[in-house]
Amino acid sequence: MRKILAFASKEIYTTFRDRNLMLLMFATPLVLSTIIGLAFGGIGDSELPDFADIPVAVVNLDEGVDLQEVIILPDQFANLDALPFDPDDLARVFNQAGIGPDQLVQDGAPLNFGDQLAAILLSQPVEGAGTTATQGFDLTEIGCSLLEESEAAGAASLAAGGNLDDLLDATAVDNADQARAAVDNGEFAAAVIIPPGFSRRIMPQFAFDEDLRIRTQVPDEDGAVEVYANNGQPISVRILHSVVAGVVNQFVRVSVALGATLETSVNSLAASIGRGEINLAAVDLSAPAAALQDLDATALEPLGCLITPGANNITVAHPPLEAIQEAPRFARTIVPIGASQAVFFALFTGVFGIQSLYEERKYWTLQRLIVSPTPKVFLLIGKLLGNLVTVFLQILILLAALTLVASVVIGEPTFIWGANTAAIVVVTLALALCVSGLGVFVVGLAKTPEQVNLFGPMINITLAVVGGSFGFALPEQAARFSLIYWGVDAFTQLANAQTDITVNLLALFAQGIVLFLLGAWLFKRRIDL
Amino acid sequence: MQTMVETRNLRKTYSRADGSTIEAVKGVDLEIRQGEIFSLLGPNGAGKTTTISMISGLVTPTEGDATIGGFSITTQSMEAKRLMGFVPQEIALYPELSARQNLAFFGRMYGLGGKTLSRRVDELLDFVDLADRQKDRIDTFSGGMKRRVNLAAGLLNSPPLIYMDEPTVGIDPQSRRRILDTVKTLRDEQGMTVLYTTHLMEEAEELSDRVGIMDHGEIIAMGTQDELTQQVGEEDRLEITTGAQNVGEALIERMQQEIAGVTRVLYNPPEQIGDNGSESTPARLTVFAKRGRTALPQIIQTLDAAGIDIQSVEVLEPDLEAVFLALTGRALRD
Repeated sequence: MRKILAFASKEIYTTFRDRNLMLLMFATPLVLSTIIGLAFGGIGDSELPDFADIPVAVVNLDEGVDLQEVIILPDQFANLDALPFDPDDLARVFNQAGIGPDQLVQDGAPLNFGDQLAAILLSQPVEGAGTTATQGFDLTEIGCSLLEESEAAGAASLAAGGNLDDLLDATAVDNADQARAAVDNGEFAAAVIIPPGFSRRIMPQFAFDEDLRIRTQVPDEDGAVEVYANNGQPISVRILHSVVAGVVNQFVRVSVALGATLETSVNSLAASIGRGEINLAAVDLSAPAAALQDLDATALEPLGCLITPGANNITVAHPPLEAIQEAPRFARTIVPIGASQAVFFALFTGVFGIQSLYEERKYWTLQRLIVSPTPKVFLLIGKLLGNLVTVFLQILILLAALTLVASVVIGEPTFIWGANTAAIVVVTLALALCVSGLGVFVVGLAKTPEQVNLFGPMINITLAVVGGSFGFALPEQAARFSLIYWGVDAFTQLANAQTDITVNLLALFAQGIVLFLLGAWLFKRRIDL
Repeated sequence: MQTMVETRNLRKTYSRADGSTIEAVKGVDLEIRQGEIFSLLGPNGAGKTTTISMISGLVTPTEGDATIGGFSITTQSMEAKRLMGFVPQEIALYPELSARQNLAFFGRMYGLGGKTLSRRVDELLDFVDLADRQKDRIDTFSGGMKRRVNLAAGLLNSPPLIYMDEPTVGIDPQSRRRILDTVKTLRDEQGMTVLYTTHLMEEAEELSDRVGIMDHGEIIAMGTQDELTQQVGEEDRLEITTGAQNVGEALIERMQQEIAGVTRVLYNPPEQIGDNGSESTPARLTVFAKRGRTALPQIIQTLDAAGIDIQSVEVLEPDLEAVFLALTGRALRD
């Protein structure tokens, strides 16, 4: 282990002692990012171009869902008979009481997340998540602790959070093809197309098994929101993408929490009936809807709160939007640009750091090491570890330097990468693994240093083009093939106070590990003289 | 005396891109005794470096094996490598690191650390007389100083055996002298076994207890210098450079038969060199003769009579060059 660390330390030391390398690793990306950032992000309050009023078409095709159809209560125990109720046999309770979705949620309980997303993007007042409250039974009479307070506060926060006037110039368009054509014509920077199955996808059916545990059934149809982008405005599109992702992520949380609350509520309701707290004898089974009105409101409280818009603890919050709006223009600009430049230049460190093995062989230091009583695998691990740490430090230092630049330009200390330092470090580590893994793979694959010199930059530039480092973006489906996309997207999300970077991390770590292992296997041949 | 290095049928074959193979070393058998300087002498491309690379574990033999202090280099490589130091022909140092940093790094790769490493580095810097330059980067050193640090790096683990692959290539006479003296010191004062490769006969003659002469991947002769020179007898060697006139077979035959004491005559005609063949090397006539100085007047007279211009004449006592010439028909420098 000491030999591995000694070799890795030597790698890092010699890299950071090389002035030419320092210029390539740090000065170049820093200067480039600053120039581009100043060109697009402006200096302070100057009138340079800003990312305000991004023209966006919003197409809302969402058909919504009916909550009544979403909640499927147990109905598979039809033959159970007499009272008293066994509290553990909750299905019997439900069956005997004749309670089903019809009674819990009245017909015509639409829920349309697409409307909400469109309203937020269009800076219109946001309607409630559901409009069913007054039908069936009056939820305002239910003692939902959050109801009154949240109705007012929730509406206010939704209105404030949904106002994206400063950032977006959104227009509602009825037809998706028309919107795409308008983007192609340059009329819009992007189109946000909300598909018919958007709400159904977010709010899957909730059914219960025999133990009253919830089973969610996600529909097969595609409910993903499409951000159709104009390739000429990658930064605008990235910002818009970030806004949409932030809102949709909040909607998804509604679904998850709804499932959990439903399960609790149904169990609580059934237990109350079982304990006799609800007098079923007084229930007229021929008129279940009326009977439901007589049920103890306390038992229904969780459900009532749940389906009342703004009245539950799963409100649609908008920290991402606020973060984006509040961040200075230069900061908003330098984050994606700086991150992409940092990763792009780190790619060169990854390849050429590993390629230095050829230098070691040329100057016979590798031979001297092989003749020492050091297993070759230690040399391999030391080399890879040294490269990994170098790339990690390079990206981290560049992020710090870019923060410094941004603070100077903005005129006050500004940490542009968001407050989640741990996540920033993890993303950097994932990127370093990926970048270093790619370096090992490229060098391992090439037969000669000349091939590395040729193919290394070619691969790096291709990844940069695909990943959007050069100021224009390819379709997202293509961009996903570049590790730069995943890294920049993660940094942008973190800068916008979003934390849902799991997919990014998975993509980076998976690529990194595969490339590292594959590259190490190929690379081992290079040590065999 | 105990055996430090032993090789048996050591063979290395390389494959060419066209599918053919080239046999760089053709079954070398060696035995090097503890505390001796053993030189592998041979022209460039003779297979010396490949042989030393196999013995040091740098290159895997195609066939055969070598043992270092009884440990097989193929099956007990770590144990064998602990017994050896390595001084390659190239300056195997990191130019961007100082002399001290280089020695400390390679010392760690030999398992040294802490005060032991620091003390050993100090000793070696003193030994190669570079203590005052220890903090300077290697790329600021002269060729001779680099060679000395290169040598020091091979001594870090105080090995009982050290390989030196042409360690005096490309340095000034003063530095060369210093390194040769150091090699002798290692044997005489530290009892170290030295395996030394060179293409310079003078170095082999000065340093070696025993010499192995290599050519075309084979050991063609091995022994002490006396043993080797006896192989060519008591003959002197007369090196005569001549003009462009061709020395024919008939003339060579006549010299061998008619001049008393002459046993053998070799002729190397002039060779065209330079980009366009615009220049040529002088023709060279090598005459082996008992009592060469006595035979010299008659040799000159015969060549003169045949119309051959004589540019220079040199009479040489029997040496390793003569051995090589006698065994291969070529000079070492060829």
